[in-house]
Amino acid sequence: MEQNKTSQELDRRNFIVRGGQRIAAFVLGLIGASLLPGQKQRALATSTPQTQPKRKVENPWEYDLESLKKIDPALITYEEIESIPAEQEKVTALALDDSGTLYIGGDKGVRVITDKTSKRWVQLPQAPACLAIDTNGDIFVGLKDMIVVYDKKGTKKTEFHSMGESSYLTSIAIGIDDVFVADAGNRVVWRMNKAGALLGQLGEKDERRHIPGLVIPSPYCDVALDQNGLLWVVNTGRHAFEQYKPDGTLVKRWEKTSVKIDGFSGCCNPTHMAILPDGAFVTAEKGLERIKIHETDGTFRTVVAAPSQFKEGTVGLDLAVNKQGRIFVLDPSQKTARVFEKK
Amino acid sequence: MDKPNKNQPVSRRTFFGDTLRTLSALGLGSLVGFGARKATSEELVWQLDPDKCVQCGQCATECVLDPSAVKCVHAFDVCGYCKLCGGYFKPDAKSLDTAAENQLCPTGALIRKFVEDPYYEYTIDESLCIGCAKCVKGCGAFGNGSLHLQVRHDCCVNCNECSIAKACPSNAFQRVPASKPYLYRGVQRKDFYPEK
Ligand code: SF4
Ligand code: SF4
Ligand code: SF4
Repeated sequence: MEQNKTSQELDRRNFIVRGGQRIAAFVLGLIGASLLPGQKQRALATSTPQTQPKRKVENPWEYDLESLKKIDPALITYEEIESIPAEQEKVTALALDDSGTLYIGGDKGVRVITDKTSKRWVQLPQAPACLAIDTNGDIFVGLKDMIVVYDKKGTKKTEFHSMGESSYLTSIAIGIDDVFVADAGNRVVWRMNKAGALLGQLGEKDERRHIPGLVIPSPYCDVALDQNGLLWVVNTGRHAFEQYKPDGTLVKRWEKTSVKIDGFSGCCNPTHMAILPDGAFVTAEKGLERIKIHETDGTFRTVVAAPSQFKEGTVGLDLAVNKQGRIFVLDPSQKTARVFEKK
Repeated sequence: MDKPNKNQPVSRRTFFGDTLRTLSALGLGSLVGFGARKATSEELVWQLDPDKCVQCGQCATECVLDPSAVKCVHAFDVCGYCKLCGGYFKPDAKSLDTAAENQLCPTGALIRKFVEDPYYEYTIDESLCIGCAKCVKGCGAFGNGSLHLQVRHDCCVNCNECSIAKACPSNAFQRVPASKPYLYRGVQRKDFYPEK
C-alpha cells in the first residue's frame, strides 16, 4: 500500500497535467520561452495592487454563459425533496446499495447512511475517486490507481493490484461475476473478477471491431451495467454513450454534441451517469451544471435540475438512482447528497 | 482613451523607448541608471494570477498599450486537445471547423491544428491577441482551464502603477520577481509555487 501512496495522492489537476503531457510530448515548450528583455524593465514601485472596491464596467467581450444556462421551467419535471449533509469537507463519490443505504465518500472516508442519524464510517487512507456496492454489501472503493474492498462492517477484505502510475480510476460497475473499472488515465475500462484478477479491457480504439476508442480529456468517465448485464460507458470526449458486451464487443452507441438541452457540450460531458429502473440515463455535466434524463437511444426526455440550482463551477456531480427511481446527486459545493423525485 | 494603436505613427511603447533615449541624450543617463540599479535589486514586475482572474475583459481595455500587454497563453500539459474546444468555438457553432463565424475569439488569434483523430492543438497568435479573456472563460467553463492570461514581458512597459491592476475587480495583479515573471498554469507553475 505504502509504495502507491505518492501516486495515489495525485489530484484531478495532476491527472490533467499528466494526460496533457502525454499528448503534448511533441509540442515545443512555447509558453516556457518567457521573454523579459532588459531594456523593457523600468524603475519599479513596491506598492501592491489597490484593494478598494472596483467599479463595475461593461465588458465589450462578455461571453454570456448565463443565456446558455437558462432552461424552460416546463422541461424541469423533478423537484428536490431532501438534502443530506455529507459531514465531510471534501466529497468525491456517492453510491447506493440494493437496500437503499447511501454511501458518501470524501476526505473522512465513506459515510454509510441508513437514516439521518447514521454515524457509521469506513475509514480510508484517502478520499475515494469512486465507489460501488456489491449485492452482498461489500464496498468497492476506487482509489487513484487501485481498488480496495471492504466488507459491510468496514473491515478491509482485499486490495487489487495497482493499475499503474498513469491510472486514474473514475467509476466502478459490479456485475454477477465481473467488476468493471473505468480508468480515465489509461483511457480504458478494466474487466476484473471480484478477487481482482484482470480478465480484459474494453473501449480501446479498434477499427476492425468498429470501436472508435475512448477520448477522455479530463478525469471523468462513468460506467454502469444495465438490466441485461451489458456495460454502458460514457465516452466523454465524444459526448457518446457506448454499450459493450463483457468481452469488449461494442453493441451499440449514440452521441449527441450540442449546447442545446438535447445534447452535451464542452470538452468532455456528461461527467457522470446512472441508469434508471426503466433503462433511461440520468446525466450530470460540468460547464453547464445540469442534470437531465435521456432515453436509452439518446433522445432527450426531461430535466431533473437546472444550472441555476447549482453553484457556478461545481464539478463532480456523481449520481445514483434507487429502485423507486429517485435520483441522488452528490453536490461537492454544498457538501451534500441532494435527492430529486418526479413532481 | 488616448492609447496608442497600430494606426498611430508613434506607439506609447515606442514613446517610452524614445523618452528613455531622450533622457540619456540629455545627460540624465545617470539618473536612469540609478533607477535601473534599484529595479535590479527589487526585481519586481507585474503579473496576474490566473486563478484569481474572472475574465472581466479589462485586461484588454485598461492597459496603457494597445493592443494590451496581456495575452492569452496556453498550458499545453493541461489541455485536453479537444475537438470541441470551449475556448475556440462559439457555443452555437454551426460546424466544428475553422470558419470565422464559428470562432469565439474576436480577432481570430486562436489557431486550431489537427493532430490525430480526435485531437486538435490550439496555439495563440500573440500579435492578434488583445487579452480579452473570452477564450479563457470558454476554456474554464467547458474545458480544463488551460487557456489563461499573462502579462507578456516582451510587451509590458512595467508601469509604476499598472492601470489594469487598478481596474481589476478580483485583485489578480501582483508584483512578482523579475527572475520568475510568469504565473503559468500547468507544469510551468510548479517551480514558481512549489507548494501548489
Ligand atoms: S482585469 Fe483582472 S479579472 Fe479582469 S481579465 Fe484582467 S486579470 Fe482577469
Ligand atoms: S479570445 Fe481574446 S484572449 Fe483569447 S486569444 Fe482571442 S483575443 Fe486573445
Ligand atoms: S504594467 Fe502597464 S503595460 Fe504592463 S500590463 Fe500593466 S498597464 Fe499594461
